[in-house]
This record gives sequence, structure tokens and C-alpha cells, in this order.
Amino acid sequence: MSATATSPFLAGARAGFAVFLPFSVGLVPWALVMGMAMRSAGFSPVEAMGMNLIVFAGTAQLGTLPLIVAGAPLWLIFFTALALNLRFVIFSAALAPAFRGVGPAARWLSGHLLTDGVFAACADGLQKADDARWRLGYYLAPSLWSWLLWQAFTLLGVHAAAVVPKSWSLEFMATIALIVLLVPMSRVRPMLVAALVGGGAATLLRGMPLKLGAVVAIVLGIAAGFLAENLEHRSQRR
Amino acid sequence: MNDADLWLIFIVIGLATTLPRASFIVLGNRVSLPGTVQRALRYAPAAALAAIVAPDLLVVGGQLAPLNAKLAAGLAAAASALRWRNPWLPFIVGMAVLHALRAWSG
Repeated sequence: MSATATSPFLAGARAGFAVFLPFSVGLVPWALVMGMAMRSAGFSPVEAMGMNLIVFAGTAQLGTLPLIVAGAPLWLIFFTALALNLRFVIFSAALAPAFRGVGPAARWLSGHLLTDGVFAACADGLQKADDARWRLGYYLAPSLWSWLLWQAFTLLGVHAAAVVPKSWSLEFMATIALIVLLVPMSRVRPMLVAALVGGGAATLLRGMPLKLGAVVAIVLGIAAGFLAENLEHRSQRR
Repeated sequence: MNDADLWLIFIVIGLATTLPRASFIVLGNRVSLPGTVQRALRYAPAAALAAIVAPDLLVVGGQLAPLNAKLAAGLAAAASALRWRNPWLPFIVGMAVLHALRAWSG
């Protein structure tokens, strides 16, 4: 590349931003719901934005909210958040080759900012470029944009919640948000099996001490999904 | 709940989020995940989401209640998410059903 051309980082950033922009609209309702849900859970605006800055993860934040409200033990909150985030281990493994030639600080920042949306939109394009600086720009521009949108619209949601009366049960919006996440997953049959077993077991085992039922239910759900996948493969082979 | 506890909870959830996300990006190609483990892990989010949502929709005051306003609202939200692409619709439909049923049953 010639000296007069823009830096590879900026060129990558521009390309990544253009690819991701249409997806970013989907973040807005989520962030608004997140802000309102944290306020309905009893957090102050500072606590709500503090959680948003520290965690930066819609699913993990919405999913742990009912546990925090119920006063669940810390280890259960950790386990649940981890289960909700395990998909990122797979995304992280898939993206890892694109970070060769990138320093550790930028890798940590990139890891912290990893979201479903950026992964879905950019994983493909990331593998195609040879220049490490271009790839970093291509990844970081949409990631930082997502971060900015998320923080801004959560803040708006946090303030919108204050003007809504309590009788509107806004906290139910958090449950709806989790259902909306679950619906596309459940189109795949083994995934539906995992959800039905996980949900059914959590309901039936809700009386277990220390809320252990939720952990047992998640483990049973994973096992059931994996089993269903293997059974499906076997029947296809016949 | 004490305020310091709440911030500790946020940090713990933050760790449970950033560590899985950063895992392979930071470690690079030195480590890799066995295929079987990768396949099994794909089911963790669905199982965990359902384990949180189902009791919330099915249990009212500690008792199983297969007919209640929250379950109907949840099913309506799921149906609209299945049928239409609009990201706002499940929230509008779900909240409308919840409030309509609560108003109707008094």
C-alpha cells in the first residue's frame, strides 16, 4: 500500500462499519428494555449504568436480573452468567486466527467487546484479509459502535423507566426479551429439546435448596440437546 | 441487599462474560477446544435461558399455574417473534396481553 493511502486500520474500520451498520438497529430495543428492566429490578441509575459498563452483555444482564432480585447466592449468579456466555468461547475460538499479529492489550479489548451481532456480521470478512491492522480495524469499528449505541440507549431506557408507573409491570419486558432470544434458537430441533428439558427441569426442581435446581436443569438441558443431536445424526445415517 | 454486594455481583457477572469472550482471542492458537465439547456447549444458552424463563411463566406464588396471564403473554410474545421480524412487536404484544388479561380477571 502506498504512503498516500489511508492507514490499513482506518480502511478496515470503514469496511467493518459499513458491513455492520444495518445490524446495529436491532440493538436499540434491547438496550431500552435493558435500561428499564434494571430500574424495575430496583437499581439506582448509577447502579444500572455501572452494571452496563462492567458487564456489557444483554443476555447475561437480563438473565441474571431475576436471580439478583431473588437474592440468589453469588456462585449461582456466576454459574448462570457463565452458561449464558459459553457460546462466546466458541465465537472466540472461531475468531482467534484473525488476531494473529495483534498485541495482548488489543486482544483483551477485542474480547471484552465481542458480541453476537459483530460476530455474525464480521466473522466471515475477518478471515479474508492479510493485514493484521486492517483486520483489527474491521473488528473494532463495529464493536466500539455497538458499545456506544448500547450505552446510549440503555441510559435512555434508565431514564424512561422513571416516568412509567409501577403498575405497568415493566419488569416483564425482561422476560419477553429472554423469550425473543430463545425463539430463533428453538427452530433447531436439538436446541428445542435442550430448552424444553432445561425449562421443565428448572420448574419442577425449583424447590431444591440453594437454588441448585437451576444448575441441575441447565446441565440436564445441555445433555438432552447433545443427545438429541446425536440421535438425529444416527437416524439420518440410516 | 447491601450496595457493596451489588457491585461485587456486577464484577462477578462481568468476569463470567469477559473471560469466555476473551478466551481464545487472547490465548491465540496455542489451545483449541475438542469438537465434542464445542458441540455440547452450543446448547448451554438455550438450556440456561429456558431455565430462567419457564419458572417465571409457570409458577405463581410458589405453585404451578398452567393458566395464568404471564404464560399467555409469554406465548403471545413468542408467537409474534416467530411470525414477524419487527423487533418491537413481541414487547408490544406481550405487554398488551398481560395487561388485557389482568384487567379482565380483575
